[in-house]
Amino acid sequence: MADKNRDSEKAIIVEGLVKNFEVVEKKQGIIGAFSSLISPNKKIVKAIKGINFSIDRGELIGFIGPNGAGKTTTLKILSGLIYPTSGFTQVAGFNPWDRKPEFLKEISLVMGQKNQLWWDLPAIETFELNRVIYELSKSAYKKSLNELVSLLEVGKLLNTQVRRLSLGQRMRLELVAALLHRPKVLFFDEPTIGLDLVAQQRMREFIAEYNRRYKATIILTSHNMGDLVDLAKRVIVIDKGRLLFDGEFSELVDNFAKEKIIKVFFSKGIDIKSLETIGKVKKLDFPNVVLSVARTTAAVAAAELLQNFPVGDLTIEEEPIEEIIRKVFRSGKVIKGRKNTK
Amino acid sequence: MTSKYLSVFKISFQQEFAYRLNFVMWRVRNVMQFFLVFFLWDTVFSDPNRVVFGYDRNKILTYVFGILLLRALVLSARAVDVAGEISRGDLTNYLLKPINYFRYWFTRDVSSKALNLGFAIIEASVLFLLLRPPFFIQTNFPILFGFLLSVILAILLFFSILFLVNMIAFWAPSMGWSAQFLVIVIVVEFLSGAIFPIDILPNAIQGILSYLPFPYLLYFPLQIYLGKLTGAAIVKSILIAGAWSAVLLFSVNSVWKAGLKHYAAEGR
Ligand SMILES: Nc1ncnc2c1ncn2[C@@H]1O[C@H](COP(=O)(O)OP(=O)(O)OP(=O)(O)O)[C@@H](O)[C@H]1O
Ligand SMILES: [Mg+2]
Repeated sequence: MADKNRDSEKAIIVEGLVKNFEVVEKKQGIIGAFSSLISPNKKIVKAIKGINFSIDRGELIGFIGPNGAGKTTTLKILSGLIYPTSGFTQVAGFNPWDRKPEFLKEISLVMGQKNQLWWDLPAIETFELNRVIYELSKSAYKKSLNELVSLLEVGKLLNTQVRRLSLGQRMRLELVAALLHRPKVLFFDEPTIGLDLVAQQRMREFIAEYNRRYKATIILTSHNMGDLVDLAKRVIVIDKGRLLFDGEFSELVDNFAKEKIIKVFFSKGIDIKSLETIGKVKKLDFPNVVLSVARTTAAVAAAELLQNFPVGDLTIEEEPIEEIIRKVFRSGKVIKGRKNTK
Repeated sequence: MTSKYLSVFKISFQQEFAYRLNFVMWRVRNVMQFFLVFFLWDTVFSDPNRVVFGYDRNKILTYVFGILLLRALVLSARAVDVAGEISRGDLTNYLLKPINYFRYWFTRDVSSKALNLGFAIIEASVLFLLLRPPFFIQTNFPILFGFLLSVILAILLFFSILFLVNMIAFWAPSMGWSAQFLVIVIVVEFLSGAIFPIDILPNAIQGILSYLPFPYLLYFPLQIYLGKLTGAAIVKSILIAGAWSAVLLFSVNSVWKAGLKHYAAEGR
């Protein structure tokens, strides 16, 4: 067991974490059902294959990876819901699996599609129940509730039966319920899923504000790159249960954004073939053309274009973040970020 | 600490009212069941002087009335939802909170019992006026004490049986309901004395049953109340029920621990 004092500045420590799920394959038909009862055909799904990372108090981390990478599984282990096959985990100084009340009062797991609100009652009833469950004093509860209600603008929704609310309204109330006890460590699993653009933006602002205001440690998973660009300075990338990258977001971009995008508007007809000598033509919608060129030669390429072609307008842009992340996933290679080299 | 579960009690009560119709249907079911049993025995005892299995018309009426009230107290439980919560992954919500899951459900059971008992008393009063069965009020204090003890044990027994059956969902998520049907609806109904008093069965079968937990849910507590058991027999029945409660509650705890290791918090 790690020494608590040594790691007191660490909110989360994960060492050699492994999680295997055992699945029994179902055979078809009645005979199949019987035979799988007698000799179950067990299969092991290796969801997490030994990952290491640690997170300081107050950090906000983006946790990304393609579908099935193991993000949700990791968060479930960190919040004490599922039993790790092996490895060491420590959250807020506790072993999550013990699920001590003191630990549970420090954390919260918010899943985009999971609800804790009592469906048939107004949200305020769930909040009241959480107040006693988390043993909050009346004044701490009032303060916390008022702050969350005004931050999330849900004052008018408190007394409506939850089943009558829209998804976005419900999600905001779910957030209030999850944060009433002021957790110090927060796990967000796709918090913006299903929300409209305005609501997504609001959610991001809220998460950033919560992180700042309460110095909370936050891990956030998302397939929405907008969430990450706005929020996370540091990202951890996993795929197929392995850690691919752990470091500054900008470092990841430097590593993988080997190209720049030049968008050109031509004022006259040109010979497309000769464009190929300058860069890769990514999109052709004459008179608009999108070229991708090596990062190092972007300026030269732009100059060449301006000199030799009838250019009406020209911009140089970074590759879209989605594209970069796709490359990271596709490469499947472990990249040394600052964090995993140490 | 207690205020936690007091709040659970309140919100559970409110929840029952949100499902008024469900609740009313459930009570209707209970009254129907009462009539079923009542008319069944009523035809057997169409001749008021006939004595079958040591019961005459009046005795059996008293028994059936007693069951109506005792059912509300012992067999009303919300923990039937546990299997669904496990297989849907809703258990996650509780595991994330500093609350004891057993105490939580026990509290919800108690709130359900309180509500059901209230209604059962009203129903029984109406039926009483209609059918005018002989009413038996037990006044012997030691017997009443034994009865109280046996009811508390019955409640614990049913709670642990229900929990054990529901926890099958940790390993076989789709079996939750069928296991529940088999054990709770079939086995418990028949072997607890809900439909017929156990002492109409052959002695050998009675002997076997008396070592199973089921008759201690309804039959034995009611027999104690009705004064059918003598001192030593009361003590024996309480000891057996107590032993079963201890064994089952212990099993609940260990199965729960094993189940949690198996739990995958599915359903996202
Ligand atoms: N209860 C389970 N039983 C068996 N396999 C599981 C279980 N839960 C997850 N897995 C498997 O573990 C792997 C990781 O799943 P996980 O839900 O952690 O992925 P994720 O990164 O959250 O993906 P997504 O982006 O789609 O949410 C997947 O291959 C998944 O099929
Ligand atoms: Mg996921």
